[in-house]
Amino acid sequence: MTRRVDHLPLPPPDARVDQTVCQYCTTGCGYTVYTWPIGRSGGPKPAQNAFGADFTRPQPAQAGVVYTEAMHSVALQDGRAVHVAVVPAADSPINRKRDHSSRGGTQARATFAADRPTRARLTTPLLRIGDTLQPIPWDEAINLLAAVVGGVRARFGSDALTAKAFDHGGGGGGFENNFAIGRLLFDDLEMRYVAIHNRPAYNSEVWGSRDRGVHELHYTAEDARLCDTLVLWGANPYETASAFYTSHMLPNFTGETAVEKRAAFDDGEAIAPLRLVVIDPRATASLEIARRIDRARTLHLRPNPGTDYVLADAIARVVYERRWHDAGMIERRSADGTFDDYATKSLRRGTALDGVLADATRITGVPRAQIEQAAAWMAEPKPGGARRRTLTLYEKGLIWNYKNYDTIAAAVQLAVLAGNIGRPGTGCGRQGGHQEGYVRPPYPGERPPPNVDQYLIDGKGKLFWVIGTNPYRSTPRAQAYRKRIHARTQALTTALGRAGESATRRADAIVDALAEGDGLFMVVNELYLTATAADAHLVLPAAGWGEADLTSINCNSRLLRLYPAFVDPPGEAKPDWWIMARVARAMGFDGYGWKTAEDVFRAGGESFPDNRVDAVAAEALPAETYAGVTYAELRERGQQGIQTPVRRDPKTGALVGTTRRYSARFGSSDGLFHWYGSDPWPGYPPQIQKYLEGARAKAHPFWLTTGRNQFLWQTGYHDRHQPAKLDAVPLPYIELNPADAERLKLGGGDLVEVFNDEGNAAFQVRVLDSTPPGQIFALQYHPKGTANALTSAYTDPKTTIPWYKATRVGLRKLAGELPTTASLLPANRF
Amino acid sequence: MPDLDRRTWIKLTGLAGAALASKPGVGVASPPIARLAELKPGRPVPFSYPDAASPCWLMRLGAPTAGGIGPDGDVVAYSALCTHQGCPVAVEDGRFICPCHYSQFDPARGGQCYQGVASTPLPRVQLEVRDGAIVATGMDGLVWGRVDDGPLGGGR
Ligand code: SF4
Ligand code: FES
Repeated sequence: MTRRVDHLPLPPPDARVDQTVCQYCTTGCGYTVYTWPIGRSGGPKPAQNAFGADFTRPQPAQAGVVYTEAMHSVALQDGRAVHVAVVPAADSPINRKRDHSSRGGTQARATFAADRPTRARLTTPLLRIGDTLQPIPWDEAINLLAAVVGGVRARFGSDALTAKAFDHGGGGGGFENNFAIGRLLFDDLEMRYVAIHNRPAYNSEVWGSRDRGVHELHYTAEDARLCDTLVLWGANPYETASAFYTSHMLPNFTGETAVEKRAAFDDGEAIAPLRLVVIDPRATASLEIARRIDRARTLHLRPNPGTDYVLADAIARVVYERRWHDAGMIERRSADGTFDDYATKSLRRGTALDGVLADATRITGVPRAQIEQAAAWMAEPKPGGARRRTLTLYEKGLIWNYKNYDTIAAAVQLAVLAGNIGRPGTGCGRQGGHQEGYVRPPYPGERPPPNVDQYLIDGKGKLFWVIGTNPYRSTPRAQAYRKRIHARTQALTTALGRAGESATRRADAIVDALAEGDGLFMVVNELYLTATAADAHLVLPAAGWGEADLTSINCNSRLLRLYPAFVDPPGEAKPDWWIMARVARAMGFDGYGWKTAEDVFRAGGESFPDNRVDAVAAEALPAETYAGVTYAELRERGQQGIQTPVRRDPKTGALVGTTRRYSARFGSSDGLFHWYGSDPWPGYPPQIQKYLEGARAKAHPFWLTTGRNQFLWQTGYHDRHQPAKLDAVPLPYIELNPADAERLKLGGGDLVEVFNDEGNAAFQVRVLDSTPPGQIFALQYHPKGTANALTSAYTDPKTTIPWYKATRVGLRKLAGELPTTASLLPANRF
Repeated sequence: MPDLDRRTWIKLTGLAGAALASKPGVGVASPPIARLAELKPGRPVPFSYPDAASPCWLMRLGAPTAGGIGPDGDVVAYSALCTHQGCPVAVEDGRFICPCHYSQFDPARGGQCYQGVASTPLPRVQLEVRDGAIVATGMDGLVWGRVDDGPLGGGR
């Protein structure tokens, strides 16, 4: 039951004001934080409160100050309790008119307080002493970790050190933390067995695009307001990038951005409201909202699982056949000879169109008419002959698909073929999940990188450092994985006990014990005692968003802003950059003398290539380049921030942001686009094919796909402490088509167990027609379970990116029932 | 007295009646909204509470729900202002839907936002039956666009 309030304290005119950015999704909405002492609240007249707003009358809808119950709490600042109001900023170019989502809108309540559920935050380092995690001081924790890391490396080499660390922006991440982690792990410890937070290796999820010369973040939020056609490919922004959808895409769909189009388009160019193409096995909320408004301007393609690249290449072939492609792009902006390879293998130029489309329909299940309609909506010139402006945004549905490399390459090539890059209203990039903030020395491993999950499962590695991620929930085949890591960490704990727990030479005892058997020492930097952290030997409390200064960019505009500290970290919690620097110094490494977050930010900035270049040369800069930017500059710019890559004008030294990329050249070293020829469709990999034959096929009659829920950010590490969210999503759930539900005699709210060879998990049933019969959608992560227990161990040999998004499963009803607080109304009916 | 909640304040001061009853506001019963006997499932009744600027919906669900009143425990009422940015929600197919950014709320689950961008459930109107008529007596949750469910601009 959610506790409600009937009164909110107002910030007084002299309240402290901090401009910040939402800690959660890729959209990067601007927020304003007001803090003020208890007992000093303001009044309802405009002159009596820091909003300058008149609360003697109700605020006007969609125009007034947004200040809801969930946007206020009391937390600690400089040791004393203060009111905290975290409200959508009035002047953000991202979340216009104070737009926001249920995730960002509850951030005030995600702050730490000893009398709220966030009291669960870690407040001291914890050491497993005997079999129990006990609080210890930082000095003890740092000395031990430095000695164990150093001891393992000296005795077993760098490859015995393994890690899984975030590389993202936003809450907990950002340039500062990423840089410090990268410097220690890569430069000083030379670790190759490092994986990124949401996958088993150190890789790009979009090498298929970057190798072409296209960094995935090259468009700007305005492009979603200006495009004639928006393609959402395995992306559901209403639920995962909400304000990007409601502030930018929706106004385009309803025609509200016509004036902006008039200003941005060429003279006489046709202007019409947006057409929306959704390519996704699910009829997503993002699609259904548009259908409610004007179904005729929507198109839904549902390829068979894993076949998206075949679909993209078939659409591209239609574009080419109809001569809707951009011949100038191919002639003048392509690397020599590469287009022929694409035309031969991907477009299958040597085969008649009928044959290509017949094959594509057979493999993808998408009817020919839809393939042709998609091609027309993406590339057919507009009335009057102007080139259509199509923006393609993809995310995990495409990235975490079968054959990651070919899939991403096919999508970006389809866009470039039709000239949809570098102009207002075009592009082909990531929607994004979280924000970004990547600056690190180069990864010392090879490409494709080793699979660190498999390495650990195989009993290799002696030390595992987990930084701000919870692989027990999030890694593929998570059930088998966590059983194995648990057994290996327990093996060390048992061995230490056998030797007689050493208090005086603990680090040596640990390294000695690791020499025998397959024990694993695990250290975790975290906000909370997650499932993974609970198995660790050493747990280090991390400071999060609003507790330490950080900087990041969002994905839709590469907008760099400052996210300042405004409350105290819980107890002894420290930012990850501080933790890494302390360990590095204790190990005797140089270059970690940073005193402030800004010191780290600047050190990271200087590690980018020289950005004193002109606009054309800036196309080759890394997408996140920001050298020359200071915190003072960012404070000055507030919500307007600056779009990376930032260059410094060679003459004036002035900082210049980048609105949109690749108008003049691509990001490759020669500035040209490098085409790639897709592999022929190879059928499903053995990890999946085994479920499509014989007795296993009978036992696993469903395709399973996974995704997110509007209310829960990632694993719900904060949201599990928000009662209203747990009321709405009390359990992990699956969406089951009504036809399947009827056949299996399952109703909304029933509990089922979903299973396959990889693992199993219990879910609540929601009956809705988002997926077709024979396909189940499961919530990927929930505090009470993970659908990744079921995913296969397949990874793309070219990239080591898993295919999280589809596998085969069976299900059975659990006997009895559980009362539920969740609404069972269909969440995809608008 | 900015930091005590209203009920504590009323209890401590014993001032519940005098100061507040002179204006419309929570804690003051509304005029009758509808006759209980005439309220039918699928026929929601609009009304205002605690004042004319706060539209609400009264409805009979046809199935009992936690906190529902009436002989069947199925009569409920909610603020009609979306808790996202204050647009008036519509009643459609047994749920509330906001026309601005499509947040949806379930009247059978305490106004839970089960889809959409709103950060809190819809505020729930406390109801009583008096002489066969339904009246509103309080508001559980903050009406959008206000910092107080009491008399606007006053009270604290
Ligand atoms: S849409 Fe994303 S960035 Fe904006 S408030 Fe919601 S979670 Fe935060
Ligand atoms: S105002 Fe209701 S969803 Fe935005």
